[in-house]
Amino acid sequence: MVRIDDRIRRIDAIEKASGKAKYLCDISLDGMLYARMVRSTIARGRIVSINVPPLPEGYYFVTADDIPEGCANSLWMIAKDWRCFASGDVRYVGETIGLLVGPSLAVLKALEESVRIEYEEMEAAISIDDAIAVKGGPILEKDDIHCSLTSQKGGDIDQILSGAAQIVEETIETGFQEHVHLETNAAICTIEDGRYTFYISCQCPFYVRKSVAGLLGLRPEDIRVKQTTTGGAFGGKEHFPDVLAGPLLVAEHKIRKPIKLVFDREEDMIYSVKRHPSKIVLKTGLDSEGNILGSDIRVYYNCGAYLSSSYVVLQRGVFHANGVYNFPATRIRGYGMATNTFPSDAFRGFGAPQTLFAIETHLDHIAAKLKVDPVEYKRRYFLRQGDETVTEGHIVEKVVLEEMLNQVAEKSGYFRKAAEYRRGSGRGIGMSFYNHGGAFTGNGEQSIIKAHLRLVKDGDRFTILCGQTEMGQGFRTILRKIVASVLEVDMDDIVYDNPDTDLVPDSGPTAASRSTMIVGRLAEEAAMQMKERMSEEHVEIETEYKHPEGHPWDQDTFKGDAYLGYGWGCACVEVEVDKLTNEVKVVGIWSSHDIGRAIDELIVHGQVNGGIVQSLGYASMEKMENRGGHFRQTSMSDYVVPTSMDFPRQEWGLVDNPYEWGPFGAKGMGELVFNGADAAYIDALERALDVTITRIPMPVEDIEGARA
Amino acid sequence: MVEKCFIPTSLAEALEIRKETKARPLAGGTDLMVQYKQGQGITPVFPWPVMIISSIGELRGIEKGEDGSVLIRALTTPYEIANCQDVPYPVREAASRMGAVALRNSATIGGNIGNASPKGDLPQPLILLDATVVLKSLDGDREVLLDDFILGSKKTDLRDDEIIYAVRIPKVEYTHVFYRKIGTRRANAISKLSLSCLIRVEDGAVTDFRASSGAAGPKVIRSRETEAILKGRRLEDVKSLIPEVLDGWNRAISPHAMPEYRRNTTRRMLEHFLLESVSASSECIIH
Repeated sequence: MVRIDDRIRRIDAIEKASGKAKYLCDISLDGMLYARMVRSTIARGRIVSINVPPLPEGYYFVTADDIPEGCANSLWMIAKDWRCFASGDVRYVGETIGLLVGPSLAVLKALEESVRIEYEEMEAAISIDDAIAVKGGPILEKDDIHCSLTSQKGGDIDQILSGAAQIVEETIETGFQEHVHLETNAAICTIEDGRYTFYISCQCPFYVRKSVAGLLGLRPEDIRVKQTTTGGAFGGKEHFPDVLAGPLLVAEHKIRKPIKLVFDREEDMIYSVKRHPSKIVLKTGLDSEGNILGSDIRVYYNCGAYLSSSYVVLQRGVFHANGVYNFPATRIRGYGMATNTFPSDAFRGFGAPQTLFAIETHLDHIAAKLKVDPVEYKRRYFLRQGDETVTEGHIVEKVVLEEMLNQVAEKSGYFRKAAEYRRGSGRGIGMSFYNHGGAFTGNGEQSIIKAHLRLVKDGDRFTILCGQTEMGQGFRTILRKIVASVLEVDMDDIVYDNPDTDLVPDSGPTAASRSTMIVGRLAEEAAMQMKERMSEEHVEIETEYKHPEGHPWDQDTFKGDAYLGYGWGCACVEVEVDKLTNEVKVVGIWSSHDIGRAIDELIVHGQVNGGIVQSLGYASMEKMENRGGHFRQTSMSDYVVPTSMDFPRQEWGLVDNPYEWGPFGAKGMGELVFNGADAAYIDALERALDVTITRIPMPVEDIEGARA
Repeated sequence: MVEKCFIPTSLAEALEIRKETKARPLAGGTDLMVQYKQGQGITPVFPWPVMIISSIGELRGIEKGEDGSVLIRALTTPYEIANCQDVPYPVREAASRMGAVALRNSATIGGNIGNASPKGDLPQPLILLDATVVLKSLDGDREVLLDDFILGSKKTDLRDDEIIYAVRIPKVEYTHVFYRKIGTRRANAISKLSLSCLIRVEDGAVTDFRASSGAAGPKVIRSRETEAILKGRRLEDVKSLIPEVLDGWNRAISPHAMPEYRRNTTRRMLEHFLLESVSASSECIIH
């Protein structure tokens, strides 16, 4: 019997650590062919001609022309603008033009290298500034703005700023970030029992079938998607698997044999989605005592050539742009810019990390100007229960930021060290505060997803049926544990396999930190109903999501409670900087998080460790540059992610603040833990070197620029 | 996939094959297998014949000479070099920070030199120490300065019939020594910049001073002209000569990417080394 407070070994730990787990690339089907993408090599231009060498027997070249007449050449993500195959023109480097299919990977590679595509190249817009200037002419109908929105609260911001004693204005920028999931993107398409069937490494099997069905004029339920054991995702397998699945489905329609497409690391690095680079302009008015009167913030995200999910990413960026603070007035205007880069997409944090980094760093700079401790300055503005948000909603839950601050300050010795380490002394300590709205924006859980979960009892075995996927975050263990704890049975009595869209109800995507909070709750409810019927032999219970009372939301105006509840965080980082070389040694990391309650402390610990290290990598070394539409870092030796040698053991803590609508009081946490260590690191670095930093990442060579 | 692959078991056999077929030696494969990879699921393709020399025992091991020199044979791995006390400090340090553990157990010194990457870890401290390369062919031996052997980025003076047999490090006396690699991260990192320096002070005078920079130009940089500024000078005069040394060194290096960082950091490290050496009371490693 397992209790919710037990720390247990993950259900998939042994199979993964021992190499027994089968990933997509380990699967081989009879008569299987391989596929290789032919991609655009330029950022923007018209396709004049495509010359394919004579294909040996058994080889195929599949393009947009193979999509049946009357069917749309589009992948239905959130928007429908991403084309399955480029046709007529190309809009970014790496855009799929065709799919070569055949029995030998080596032959496919040779064929790909001899495909000649003639382009009429056009001037491309690559950066946010390029897009603002509409470089090369509009990418969209009339300009380069994919999407925009404004949120505000308080009085007229222009008037407030014009009456301010002092205005602090600055621009903060963040870069691309690559997911570097251990398993690269991979899929197989085949026909089983007369139906198109996918085996695919992905977060959201129901997204895949919805996205590609239209290519053949099918309904989503005509396609079967089986998620295979997925070796990491971080958002990189939320919508992006559709980009593999679409061309595979068209090829399957033509060839009717199993076809496998596996990206190698270089392809996964340079031809996949990234985190949105951002440019955030902040203008904050202060009174003569240094109090904040109001803040005017403009947020630009580089969305790349297609909108895909970027509008939702931008919304999250805007809704998190004033951080965990309650300013008297705020106006946030967000713009999703179209450029000729590979489309940006979901990545742990989903738009929140960029604006949270900006506001934290901005407040650090204001505090430095006022010569007050940044933590003392920030805590004056902490949001509290009942406070109005920038979407004219309210903070419904109890906010325990003060408690978290105290926990972290005590363990780290923050206040003593902050006073002791002279600015520019080579030593520095920094602290940041952050939050993350759990689950889909507003009433999306109700209006868009309508999650369902089924729990089936057969004798002593209980099977959980839902669409949530395990991708390394521990959900296979979490969901079993919730059900086993309620039913007071062993973990082994619960069955919960990788989802197959033919067998499970749609419980929504494994994204948005919603799985534990929303689907975990459905499982808890199902188990509670089951518990009343334990004497019966066969029982099936289906639970359906219900929007909790008291969270109004208007999706047309973006007004109301943007999220059902927030996770909250506080991180502290201490550094020693070698002034000879700019090398930064992180000597301490402390954090505290409010995630409601932990379903399993071991798994939460893993998420905290991983999220914080990933955020520190984002701030320090993970540099992905794009020149002329081409990503410059193509391998794991030049796109550098942290190793276990780079950062020390972390001290971490949680605060107990049970969430009313979550299972056992739990709320979302997978993204929260990514959202703030970057700002604490930069804060510490700025103090250690007495410099001002306005962008990340900050590898040694860029610190040199800041020192100049 | 290769045109032809040979697996000689003796040096004599390898030299025959080399002369006859010009087959290129492959040892640990940590550079070549990466350079010629074809992607997931496809065998690497080499555009020339290959001979796998890993099983030639004559090419292994480190030997100390009576004159104090150290001979490191071509198949010696970074792990072995890093753990051999006969090897001078900066070379051991460089070997200990190459790539990851697995790479340090399979890469070889012969390969690291033959690959001649400007970011290669071992050539930099070896060139500081005036190490030579011992080359063998059926026509006999040839021994040249490593600094002359490496011609530029990825270019060496290796002849079609030659094999890198060993590296010889002559005995170099010094009182103070410095080695620093700035990698892309703390472990498993490619060098962004590296610097070695040494100085010998005898009876209050500088009798030797050298420096070498890695990843700051197409090949490892030495500047005899700049080194000469301090040679023969009294210790108390060194401080006033530092600006001249720094300027000379700055003219010698030619970093392509991140020039500002590479120039400034090299300058700061060199200055630090000299200031610390001047004020150090006894022989030591400067950190």
